[in-house]
Amino acid sequence: MDQPAFNHGLQMAFLELQALNKRYNNVVAVEDFNLSIERGEFVSLLGPSGCGKTTTLQMIAGFTQPTSGAIMLNGRDLGAVPARKRGLGIVFQTYALFPHMTVEQNVGFGLEMRKIPADERRRRVADALDLVHLTHLGDRFPRNMSGGQRQRVALARALVIEPELLLLDEPLSNLDAKLREEMQLELRRIQQEAGVTTLLVTHDQSEAMALSDRVAVMQGGRLIQEDSPFDVYEKPATSFISTFLGKTNSLAATLERDKAGTTIVIDGTRLSGPDTALAAGPVEVSLRPERIELTDAEKATISGNVIERVFLGDQWLFRVETPIGKLLVMQRNLGRREANVGERLHLSWEPEAMRLLPRGEG
Amino acid sequence: MNRNGIFALCFNALFALFMVGPLLIVIGVSFTPTGYLEFPPSAISFRWFKAILDNPDFIDAAWISLELGLASATLSTVLAVPAALAIGRERFRGRDALQGLFLSPLTVPTVVLGVAFLRFLSLFDINGTFFGLVLCHAVIVTPFVLRLVLASVTGVDRSIEMAATSLGASHWTVFRRVTLPLILPGVVGGWVLAFITSFDELTVTVFIVNPSTTTLPVRLFSHITQTTDPLIASISTMVILLTVLLMLAVNKLYGLDRLLIGGEAR
Repeated sequence: MDQPAFNHGLQMAFLELQALNKRYNNVVAVEDFNLSIERGEFVSLLGPSGCGKTTTLQMIAGFTQPTSGAIMLNGRDLGAVPARKRGLGIVFQTYALFPHMTVEQNVGFGLEMRKIPADERRRRVADALDLVHLTHLGDRFPRNMSGGQRQRVALARALVIEPELLLLDEPLSNLDAKLREEMQLELRRIQQEAGVTTLLVTHDQSEAMALSDRVAVMQGGRLIQEDSPFDVYEKPATSFISTFLGKTNSLAATLERDKAGTTIVIDGTRLSGPDTALAAGPVEVSLRPERIELTDAEKATISGNVIERVFLGDQWLFRVETPIGKLLVMQRNLGRREANVGERLHLSWEPEAMRLLPRGEG
Repeated sequence: MNRNGIFALCFNALFALFMVGPLLIVIGVSFTPTGYLEFPPSAISFRWFKAILDNPDFIDAAWISLELGLASATLSTVLAVPAALAIGRERFRGRDALQGLFLSPLTVPTVVLGVAFLRFLSLFDINGTFFGLVLCHAVIVTPFVLRLVLASVTGVDRSIEMAATSLGASHWTVFRRVTLPLILPGVVGGWVLAFITSFDELTVTVFIVNPSTTTLPVRLFSHITQTTDPLIASISTMVILLTVLLMLAVNKLYGLDRLLIGGEAR
């Protein structure tokens, strides 16, 4: 094992991806990718399929060689270290359990490779199974387990080797919706109990937001925003992010400035705008459906007729035809009757609810 | 439970009869007390089974066939497993050509193969030797092993091997502890198929045996060109019995449907 390089040790983050590039022939998979992760942090790499997030994970794991760039883990350059000596815990999308081994043998495999004596191995396997709440299933085979249980075995197997870094590749995408939500909470609990630095790769924005301390959004092989889940959601850097993370109303608008403040003009309708650093001219307005409130006619920012109505249990979703376009409106279910299709709704929102983005990006 | 129509049932029954019928007749004939082929037998007698013991050359030939089957099936399995791993998952120049080469014994007429092997073995002066037979049979049975192993290789989730690697396993350990157990149904199935193919191979073998390496099929063939006594039937019955026992053993140990239909490795 290499010693940590002392000249770097102080300033460097725990995991640093430095100017990573990966090209397949002439196809760019990952381009000039930089990311730092602190010890114990949970970071998500979020993006649509084909954005290069899996390639990035494969490069960290050592299954793919970067075309250029460096991967530094705890001050040590992983470039020349083969995958099997990186000592990372990896949970694969398909769980990749060894089907011919029992749960205990699966979890103990990494310890066996490290030549840990049998009695210590048993103890550590038991601890790991304890951590994922599978104590009683050690002698089962994976084929006799549910998806959620397999997921836990995969986690235990990755964590038992006490990895410096845990890599999760779309770990929840094979679970049904209810189980996925449960496992999200479990995953967060397990990660914090184990205190392991974690990088999650996912295309599911709710997963990324629920789990991580920080979200790194990728598009077309590039990192386009890196922030806390709240800031990525509330202050998307591009209109791609605003539409990729959650629902939003994306409206083409013109920004006008005068002494009193800013004005947003959409299809001839003038609305008072938020404070912004953007210059006057064409902009894009991103307005989240949950920031639009139902109000009375006299307080309304704008009014329109309901053209679509969906009841989701905890909330209502309306599509409203307004002078500035069709708006998606989300309203918490208050247990009362809500406007039906064809009825008129009066909408209002704070000027600050409108997020302005330069037009034509993303 | 039975959702098959009457037509399908009849068809399946006829098909099964067509497959099994000849075997049943051979078994029936072998119990005849007469000196000629007779069906149904007029009485039950073990005369022709006792006669096997009086013909040690048949027993010798059976041993040679057995050893030949074991050796050639094993040799071709050892060759076909790495070949299947390379062909099944790597992309390299000449991959299709390599696969074509390994499978070509299936497409070349066996008579042509026999003549070619005869010339080839004579060139190295190993014609008629057991070693030469093993080499030729290994060539003939490799396509069967390769096909079955390839099928199971392509069914293996690569991330399982990646998981083993990430946990610290070397290439060899990954193969031994993970890959091989996962493709074992294909390997065992291929081996059994290869053994059976080698055991009853006649057309090619006729060209390349000498009196000291005569295999059972060749011995039977030369016997019936001279006489047609029920000894052929009783020997065949013994072979059928051994095959059934082998299949039962494989089924008990492994599951025949998993082997022949190639069910999931889990």
